[in-house]
Amino acid sequence: MNASPLALLGNALWGACASAGFAILLNVSFRGLPRCAAGGALALAVRTFALQVGFTLEAASFAAAFVVAAVVQFVPGSDLVSRDMIQVLSCIPMIPGGFAAKAIVGLFSITVQPSAAAANKALVPALVNSLRVIFTIGALGTGVAIPALLFRSHRPDSL
Amino acid sequence: MNPGFPHERKPGRSPQRQALTAIAAVALQFGKLLMESGASARQVEEIVADVSTGLGAKASELRVGYASLAVTVNRDDQTLTFMRKIGPPGVNQALYQHLWRSAARIRKGECSVAQASEEVNRVANSCSPHSAIVTSIAAGIACAAFGRLLDVDWSAIGPIFGASLLSQLVRRQLAHWRINAFLAVTIVAFIGSLLAGTGARWMGIQTVARDMVVSVLLLVPGVPAFNAQFDMLEGRPTLGSARAAVVAATLIFMTAGVWLAGGVLGVRP
Repeated sequence: MNASPLALLGNALWGACASAGFAILLNVSFRGLPRCAAGGALALAVRTFALQVGFTLEAASFAAAFVVAAVVQFVPGSDLVSRDMIQVLSCIPMIPGGFAAKAIVGLFSITVQPSAAAANKALVPALVNSLRVIFTIGALGTGVAIPALLFRSHRPDSL
Repeated sequence: MNPGFPHERKPGRSPQRQALTAIAAVALQFGKLLMESGASARQVEEIVADVSTGLGAKASELRVGYASLAVTVNRDDQTLTFMRKIGPPGVNQALYQHLWRSAARIRKGECSVAQASEEVNRVANSCSPHSAIVTSIAAGIACAAFGRLLDVDWSAIGPIFGASLLSQLVRRQLAHWRINAFLAVTIVAFIGSLLAGTGARWMGIQTVARDMVVSVLLLVPGVPAFNAQFDMLEGRPTLGSARAAVVAATLIFMTAGVWLAGGVLGVRP
């Protein structure tokens, strides 16, 4: 990822597109799409900035999820799309699906290696990818959950 | 054959019990549809409680499982518990929003039990998903955007978009035919990654393996993955674990499809 404002804007744009695309797949109404796209853009902007200043992927994902969830808790509610759905859709572009596929393929490949040494060599990247997936998804879920758990009880009538 | 609820088969019960039974039936119908629309357990519990009390129950308790719901409602010294199965889990935000609005009206006491029953059935039948072409284009755009986020080459965006678009069409058709969800994931992943890989190779793109993976990211179960964590964090580890297991199984079946396509193309994803 390039350390430049252009990269940040580009990632925010692609995050918005991914969130809006997934929103349609999850049957969000068209009028609710701008909120989802804005959430995705904010999440990717924060994550890109955090990566640029030296955060790890997991820490940057946590920061982005936390910021989005906190912002969503304080913007006025809408009956077009729920707060929970906006948070989740904003974070979906940060789910490490590519790493997950690599991790599983890597684990598949361990058993077909011709020697123990080759299996050991294949094991390390597979484990690294698996742990990265687990920690990143955990960071996203925790980052989204904390603001919701802190502030939700004060708004019993909100979506 | 669905045997129906007890109050439908035993009309000789007392009026109070029949009324309570009808309340439980409507509340469970709300809960079932909410679970099938991708709501978290907390949301289901809140809305079912709103519906039950709005229709006249003094108190209600809900037990949310992965494949079933059980509700206990109480009124006039009468208490009863109902259980019902839940259909295949999915995500349908429009349905959730309609159910939430209906529950809000019921909570204010604006509906009788009969009206609420009619309302929930009407909502269930009226919330159809976006059209196939719209969802397919959306899937193409989402995966192409994912591709740019993962630094795939600009020239690979076309094959990724096309493969994802066609994959979503196939996915929808398989769902229409009620093919097993995990099998469908493997089939869609195979077709999507095969198309993306073939297209990328034909265009001379170097990142064929990455393009194959990106084109099937529409299958990653994002909402269930988050719901699993929310359920665990909110004190429902059994339901959260069940959802997490389904997410893991979905990822494995998705990877199997990509892996098979890689075998056909001679590419290691």
